[in-house]
Amino acid sequence: MTPNKKLHFIVIDDSKLDCFIAEKIIKNTGKSESIRSFLQAKEAIEFIASAPPPEDNSHTIILVDIQMPIMNGFEFVEAFESLPQKITANYTIYVISSSINENDIYKLKNYPSVRQFLNKPLTSNNLALLIG
Amino acid sequence: MITPEKIKVLYIDDEQNNLVGFKATFRFDYTIFIAQNTEKAYEVLKAHTDIRVILSDQRMPDKTGAQFFEEMREQYPDPVRMLITGYTDVESVIDAINKGHIFRYIKKPWTDIDIKGAIEEGNKFYISNSLLAVKNKELQSAYDELGKFAYSITHDMRGPLLSVLGALELAKGIDSLPEIREILGMMDEAVKKLDEFIKNTHEYYNLKRGKLDFEAIDFKNVVDDVAALFRITGRMQEVKFTANIEQNDIFISDEISIKIILSNLFSNAFKYQRKNASDKFVEVNIEVKDGDAVIIVKDNGIGIHENHINNIFTMFYRATSEQTGSGFGLYNVKDALNKLNGTIEVTSVVNEGTVFKVIIPGKPNDAK
Repeated sequence: MTPNKKLHFIVIDDSKLDCFIAEKIIKNTGKSESIRSFLQAKEAIEFIASAPPPEDNSHTIILVDIQMPIMNGFEFVEAFESLPQKITANYTIYVISSSINENDIYKLKNYPSVRQFLNKPLTSNNLALLIG
Repeated sequence: MITPEKIKVLYIDDEQNNLVGFKATFRFDYTIFIAQNTEKAYEVLKAHTDIRVILSDQRMPDKTGAQFFEEMREQYPDPVRMLITGYTDVESVIDAINKGHIFRYIKKPWTDIDIKGAIEEGNKFYISNSLLAVKNKELQSAYDELGKFAYSITHDMRGPLLSVLGALELAKGIDSLPEIREILGMMDEAVKKLDEFIKNTHEYYNLKRGKLDFEAIDFKNVVDDVAALFRITGRMQEVKFTANIEQNDIFISDEISIKIILSNLFSNAFKYQRKNASDKFVEVNIEVKDGDAVIIVKDNGIGIHENHINNIFTMFYRATSEQTGSGFGLYNVKDALNKLNGTIEVTSVVNEGTVFKVIIPGKPNDAK
């Protein structure tokens, strides 16, 4: 991640507490321009698809959970990857989950847009590693 | 007592006289089908998939009995196969036995007793084989369920725990009391969710392993017991609860199952309310009539979208991210109802409310 870029964050998790934790930790880094949380992945996709083009020199990091009702993390990533490339290029996806299922983690390797898998809970240390 | 159905037997022989004689001899004991060639035999097998025993002559013009068995068993593996043959064909019989194509052979000329004994033995073999197939299927579905279960456990139990862990970590660095309180409130929810999951798991195993214990059910007491649980946990705050119970007859059923059904339906009705509505209600109507109990649980909550309504009884399916659902509750309801031969129907309108209608047949009093 280029350090001088403006960073925006999107958190997608059906657990309110986990969204709250992520928001706080992100805010504490002091490096975020904005943070948006979604309890439903579908709403996040709609938001991303219809968001106005980002200003230059800004990038958005998405933290998404795997197991969620209605649209799960895999479905979200699939929907994301079907968006036009000029939109997806502005985002980096990290999957963050309580899953310790090897299949889940292995399956994530098939999605080029997923940068990395992170274990819950999110801590300021491992977030710092991501954004440098 | 219903007389057991006659065993269905197919006999194949190219000599018409043998076929007629066979049928005449055994038609009282078994349902006999005959075929003069293997082509005809396939037609019979196709039309009667419940044929249990097939007897075939070895020497036939189009192919031998052993050849026929070898090729037919792929398509029809279940019927027990027997070869009827004279001494001269011993080599081919041994070969057929060794390859597993036939269950036994009957030598010519046969006696009635030979044939009857063979059919009875073959039938026993058929029955134990099909029982085994049923058991295998049950075992497979139990394994599948276990896999699903283990997968879900990691999420549904670890999830709330990790949330609490994350919140604790966060709280360590916070000095503001109101913020700490906010975090505590959310930790409280996560712990309750975990607790609910564990309770539901317990119910699930009670239902799976538990035997039904039939006794007279007093619906008024049962509803009071179940409702008390919600009163204690404060779920009833702001929600008007009414129960109308009309029970004049004795109703015999399993109380634990009925409590599981009611508590899950109540729990959902209280949980999935519209947040800012001022007239929240949950209403239960129970009527015992003509030996059935008809239970209607009605709320004016958030409702269930039609896209999800067909899946709500699936294990771990959650139709909403509102509130703390385990995806287990309605599955347990359905499971309990299956055990009691009951039925459930649901009608729902988004933002207007949901009605569950349950019908449970009472167990006849004398069968207790």
